[in-house]
Amino acid sequence: MSDVIDRSDEQWERAFRELLIERGLFTQAEVAAKVELMHSRTPALGVQVVARAWFDPAFKVRLLADGSAAVRELGIDVGPLKLVVVENTSAAHNVIVCTLCSCYPRMLLGLPPDWYKSIAYRSRAVREPRAVLEEFGLELPTGVTVRVHDSTADMRYLVLPMRPAGTENLDEAACAALITRDAMIGVAAVHA
Amino acid sequence: MHDVGGRPSAAKVEREQHPFAPWEVRVDALMMVLTDAARPGGPLMTTDELRRGVEALPPAEYEALGYYQRWLRSLIALMVEKGAIDAGQLARRVEALAAEHEREHAAGAHE
Amino acid sequence: MSARFTVGDAVRVSARGCEGHCRTPRYIRGKRGTVERICGAFRKPEDLAYGRVSSEPLPLYRVRFQQRDVWKEYRGDAADTLDVELYEHWLEPAGNAYE
Repeated sequence: MSDVIDRSDEQWERAFRELLIERGLFTQAEVAAKVELMHSRTPALGVQVVARAWFDPAFKVRLLADGSAAVRELGIDVGPLKLVVVENTSAAHNVIVCTLCSCYPRMLLGLPPDWYKSIAYRSRAVREPRAVLEEFGLELPTGVTVRVHDSTADMRYLVLPMRPAGTENLDEAACAALITRDAMIGVAAVHA
Repeated sequence: MHDVGGRPSAAKVEREQHPFAPWEVRVDALMMVLTDAARPGGPLMTTDELRRGVEALPPAEYEALGYYQRWLRSLIALMVEKGAIDAGQLARRVEALAAEHEREHAAGAHE
Repeated sequence: MSARFTVGDAVRVSARGCEGHCRTPRYIRGKRGTVERICGAFRKPEDLAYGRVSSEPLPLYRVRFQQRDVWKEYRGDAADTLDVELYEHWLEPAGNAYE
């Protein structure tokens, strides 16, 4: 195990953190609380939001108008997150990227995947989104417009995927089980 | 170097996800603690300061380092810049931890 | 908050350089787009990056660009778009499409 861990990073992190704690700037408990907070943030929260939007058209309207306010209605405390929800339709497919760093709706989806933070994704998603989507295995029907959103400033984005055909007899929970994190970033579709 | 949107790239997007090392999880948490707007007295740094620190890395380092390695370097540089931490003291503490680690390893190897 | 631009306005992104930190990607500078929405008022990243937290907030916009206007050899559909969040101090009125 020790050959996998980069000793140097571990030691720098520990030394840095301990010195700041000794200086009284924050406590170990505060650090632990943030670790716990991020453990509690997973795509399951976003899935809840998407499924509700599929089953409650009025909620969906509110979600598209003010993402953060609508998410709070479900009892999800997203803190200062400013959420913009973009809806996939039969005419348009949305995909999210942060070319400058890795901005991501962390309080709703948890930590972003490595690929989202990669230079390859960040450089190519804005310029050749269709090629990137193809690599992810997403096939778009002809005539669908691709809309890319570069998260350059204070907003964070969630894609509202289309509810797939064949789910008409499923309830909200059963539909929720189909929704993936990748579909909420826009590199995948939801399948029945 | 960080401004990579549209940069010509033939690289395929690597989909493999590495498990987060505990130190990476702690760096992420440190970032949240340091930039916490709800902290009494205000945050110790802003997210844009962190980004500025990452962007200031030499291009070769930016490319070669992992995501949380960049963040850690930026956090350290910023806290030194703000006088919250002394670079020399930090380096000595790192050496002390490394020496402690070596001693533990050497002891283990003799068992 | 008094916003200089409104939804539907044609705007052009400044082609100036950026000293220090900014959140205007190089690829969008000089490009022409349309205001898609006003996001609210936020502080300039140029100031926040140096701890100047008391500067006045200013409007942040989502601006929609046609991909073929952004990339010389864009290979997707003519209707494909790219939305970017841009702070007011990086935007100018674009007027007609030939400016």
